[in-house]
Amino acid sequence: MRCDQAYELIGAYLDEELSGGDRTSVADHIEFCAGCRVLIRDIKRTGKAIAELGRKPAPPTLASQIRSLLAKEEQEHAVKRVVCWRMPPNIWRQAAALAACCLLSVALTWGVMTSRGAVDQLQQEIVAAHIRSLLQDSPIQVASSDSHTVKPWFAGKVDFAPEVNDLTAAGFPLLGGRLDYVHQRRVGVLVYRRRLHTVNVFMWRAPGADDAAPTLANRNGHNLLAWAKSGITYWAVSDLDAAELRRLQRLL
Amino acid sequence: MGELSSFDRLTLQHLNAAYNLALWLVRSESDAEDIVQESYMRAFRGFHGFSGTDAKPWVLAIVRNTAYRWLSNRRRSANVISLDEAFGGPGEESVESQIASEDPTPEAQLIGEVDRGLVRSALVELPPIFREVIILREIEGLAYREISQVTGAPLGTVMSRLARGRRELRKTLSRMMDKDKPHAV
Repeated sequence: MRCDQAYELIGAYLDEELSGGDRTSVADHIEFCAGCRVLIRDIKRTGKAIAELGRKPAPPTLASQIRSLLAKEEQEHAVKRVVCWRMPPNIWRQAAALAACCLLSVALTWGVMTSRGAVDQLQQEIVAAHIRSLLQDSPIQVASSDSHTVKPWFAGKVDFAPEVNDLTAAGFPLLGGRLDYVHQRRVGVLVYRRRLHTVNVFMWRAPGADDAAPTLANRNGHNLLAWAKSGITYWAVSDLDAAELRRLQRLL
Repeated sequence: MGELSSFDRLTLQHLNAAYNLALWLVRSESDAEDIVQESYMRAFRGFHGFSGTDAKPWVLAIVRNTAYRWLSNRRRSANVISLDEAFGGPGEESVESQIASEDPTPEAQLIGEVDRGLVRSALVELPPIFREVIILREIEGLAYREISQVTGAPLGTVMSRLARGRRELRKTLSRMMDKDKPHAV
């Protein structure tokens, strides 16, 4: 090993940071090199002098200053954590709002499609059944103005005994009755006449249903009046005006 | 509060080492105080990233980085480049090569014991990247591996910086002692 190589390694040799091969080479070199031995002496002397300088100790107040800063930092950090939890960043609020809008939209659509949609469909069915009855030769299967003929006719054909009243005296002569199929079920229909207008009154059993006051709807120029009484649902439909339809409902 | 107390226990025992390193790097007691304060705040904020058991190299690395940032700000605002603060200006490579390329005249040996006041002056004359490895080795007694952790330099670089730093120190001391004792030789 040459001196310039040894010079690079002697410090590490003294610090015991050299691994096997280098350590042996340096040890071999210094045994025969007086110059490097002087270098070693100087490094040791200098190192000793530096070590004796020691640390200049930190000012006694520094530790307490740092501790109080740290405590403040910790406190602010804790507050920040709470604030973060209470007020999520804008992006989260926006995402949450968007998600809420989507949910609301889905819920509303579903609600409208199912509830309002069902009523809509029923009204449509009833108007269609009404019009179909008018297109046929006769809207009735049993022709009688006698309630005592019509009422027994329904027996065995529908699952309830309908109220059948002849209202000729009130200007609503009973034409008769028939069976129809709406709301996915067989229903009884009473057919009344008012001047030239035909009124179909659809009836079916709705067990457990509360009595409901008549509600009026208008569909394609037809007035529909729906109500419930004594577990029977009624739908009266006609091109008669609404007031007269209500009158018939009261008479029934 | 558990985090703060374990941080306190692990790091504040190294306060004197931290202050001493900062002082050797910036050469101003009030600056060193500020640097150490700032370093401990930084360390606390990054404490969740510390996973070791010996916090000393970790704390000293933060102090060192803060001190160099301080030096480079001070140099920029003063617009003066001294040898002491040249680090960070033309880049550490050029500082190292500048010393390495000096002509390899046989180095004067030291006559007699080394005076503490002289060694302090000689250390101040060293550029900080050499001064710091000598402080970390001779005063803090760190192993090369730990010095490498503090400085962020590879082990081989730590070794060569120490070797060059010691040679520079020897040259400077020899010059100073010659001046001190003109009739000694």
